[in-house]
Amino acid sequence: MKKNCVVVPVDFSNNTESSVRQALELAAGEEKIHLVHVLFALDAVSPGVVFGGVTDESRMNHINEKFAELKLRLDAPKIESEIRVGNPGLEIADYAAEIGADLIVIPSHGYHGVKRLVLGSVAERVIRHASCDVLVLRRSDAE
Amino acid sequence: MNPTILPHSTLVRVALLFGVALLLGFYIDSPLFAQESTEAVPPPPSIEAPSETVPAREPSAFEKKLDGVAGYLVEKIAAVLFFNVLFFTDSYNIPLAVIWLVLGAIYFTLRMQFISLRAFYHAIKVTMGKYDRPGSEGEVSHFQALTAALSATVGLGNIAGVAIAVATGGPGATFWMIVAGFLGMSSKFVECTLGQKYRQVRSDGRIMGGAMYYLSKGLAEKGMKGFGAFLATIFAILCIGGSFGGGNAFQVNQSLNALGETVPGLKENGWAYGLVMMVLVGIVIIGGIRRIATIAEKIVPLMCGVYVAACLFILFKNSALIPAAMNTIFTEAFTSNAAYGGLIGVLVQGFKRAAFSNEAGVGSAAIAHSAAKTRYPVREGVVALLEPFIDTIVVCTMTALVIVITGAYNNPEYSEMIAKNQGAALTSKAMDQQIEGFKYILSGAVVLFAYSTMISWSYYGERCWTYLFGDRSSMIYRVLFIVMVFLGSIVSSTNVLDLSDLMILGMAFPNILGILFLTGDVKRDLDDYWSRYKKGEFEVNTDQGADS
Repeated sequence: MKKNCVVVPVDFSNNTESSVRQALELAAGEEKIHLVHVLFALDAVSPGVVFGGVTDESRMNHINEKFAELKLRLDAPKIESEIRVGNPGLEIADYAAEIGADLIVIPSHGYHGVKRLVLGSVAERVIRHASCDVLVLRRSDAE
Repeated sequence: MNPTILPHSTLVRVALLFGVALLLGFYIDSPLFAQESTEAVPPPPSIEAPSETVPAREPSAFEKKLDGVAGYLVEKIAAVLFFNVLFFTDSYNIPLAVIWLVLGAIYFTLRMQFISLRAFYHAIKVTMGKYDRPGSEGEVSHFQALTAALSATVGLGNIAGVAIAVATGGPGATFWMIVAGFLGMSSKFVECTLGQKYRQVRSDGRIMGGAMYYLSKGLAEKGMKGFGAFLATIFAILCIGGSFGGGNAFQVNQSLNALGETVPGLKENGWAYGLVMMVLVGIVIIGGIRRIATIAEKIVPLMCGVYVAACLFILFKNSALIPAAMNTIFTEAFTSNAAYGGLIGVLVQGFKRAAFSNEAGVGSAAIAHSAAKTRYPVREGVVALLEPFIDTIVVCTMTALVIVITGAYNNPEYSEMIAKNQGAALTSKAMDQQIEGFKYILSGAVVLFAYSTMISWSYYGERCWTYLFGDRSSMIYRVLFIVMVFLGSIVSSTNVLDLSDLMILGMAFPNILGILFLTGDVKRDLDDYWSRYKKGEFEVNTDQGADS
């Protein structure tokens, strides 16, 4: 049975496109796909921020351009997209709950070693906080 | 160049540079040199810049315990990194890293065919925005990148460090400091060009760059992926350590000492100053209050201007003494004066202070310069070469001239201050003698310099932290950073400060070693850019505004 609302967190890495394609196969239509990109909160000390060249608005403009390019490559202009700022795991789960998603399709980060220890995984957090089904895809470029 | 020859010739270059550095280290340590130094009246000063103005107060039990922990850490880390063996010699405490930095700088100067001279005018035009064009990828203009990098280098090293160099190395040290500043311009050019060349542009437009990126990506391109990743990791670890020490605890400690000269009772209650600084740094790096960092970034160039103006005023007021002072500086630079530890003692003082102050070859500035808007990495490298010029050749020389002209360096009245290595206090006295009440302005400037250096170094440290551990863990770094701010005010131990020096000096090893494999590429890029520039291919922009 096709899903009515699928959330796909994207980070524009090499695996993004294949993740969205898999989600498209599971969804009832391209308009049922909701891409979400989560930005980390801006720091206050890097030169770009201090001198005003980098703002949330400038970052969102860049991401919106990336979304547009992705939709064009996928030939799926009706895909919805959303940008959030904050903790990726929590923001993705919150967004899915807000729009009543019935599935989250997320690539696994595949960290090992120190990064795994320090970061854990966004996918793990999403699984813990999501109120719907979560499909974790194994990334081919996992570290 | 034939790619099959490259690794071999570069390895020979690295081996030669390292060999000469080692030989120099051993020569200076040899009985031949020691004999010259036996006549030296004062014992040679400790090399550690931070220990120069450590407040002299009785440590509490808690502080002693912290000192013990720090001492243990220094000992263990030094043992692991062989710093005791490599860095210091018995007779003159010369860090091998300084020899490494200077030899690297000489090599870069020759290989880039005196880029510091031939590109100087072009650097000024680029910094002024003459080549700016909207649309180039990046976060800041050339001028803003230079300002950001300068705020990390212009600080206590220029005020306190230089005074000590002149007081303990004699006026001749000024000459060698200028020479080191000049050579450092080429190191900055090379590292900042590479910082731009191998930067990473993220999907949200943010730029990530610096030595850890050019070491890992640049060496991977040369077929040395593992070695590059190793150097990048070592660099990042040392930079994080440097940001906690030299870029943080050292700044708090030194500025507390300078402020203690004008605010009664502050030295005895250093923790209060530490707490205030911790809150001020915390509200920016954890609270995200950008306005404060913005104000600090803008005030620092102003304070720097006020400082240079005050020095110029003093020089102008004593203009009759300038020719004699210049003569003393030049003559003593080549005179073996036992009081200053012989010729090499003078030379080392000058080189040391310049290296500590302008960070050329250390690799830190490449993090800031990688953010500049430009299509040509060489162009940002050219801008970066102005940094050692402003920091060392202009600002440090101003301090040195004031110390020489006022005679503060050999005034018996200040002998205790010199013996205690209280550089900031010495400069303060020398300037206050000429401009009444200036010590109050100077102590304010010192606090601002320290604050802006901390903010800038927290950015360097955080970039290295996120390179190693990922973006999501940056809050851990920030919390550790503000804890170090507080510790810097209560721990007067040289142990913590030694640790920071080991870290910042240590950064030069992976950085210069890795750059040696990439120098050929930089030279080719430079030659290409320079010929196009000479042909007038780059359009000059008459409006202000990023990069043709």
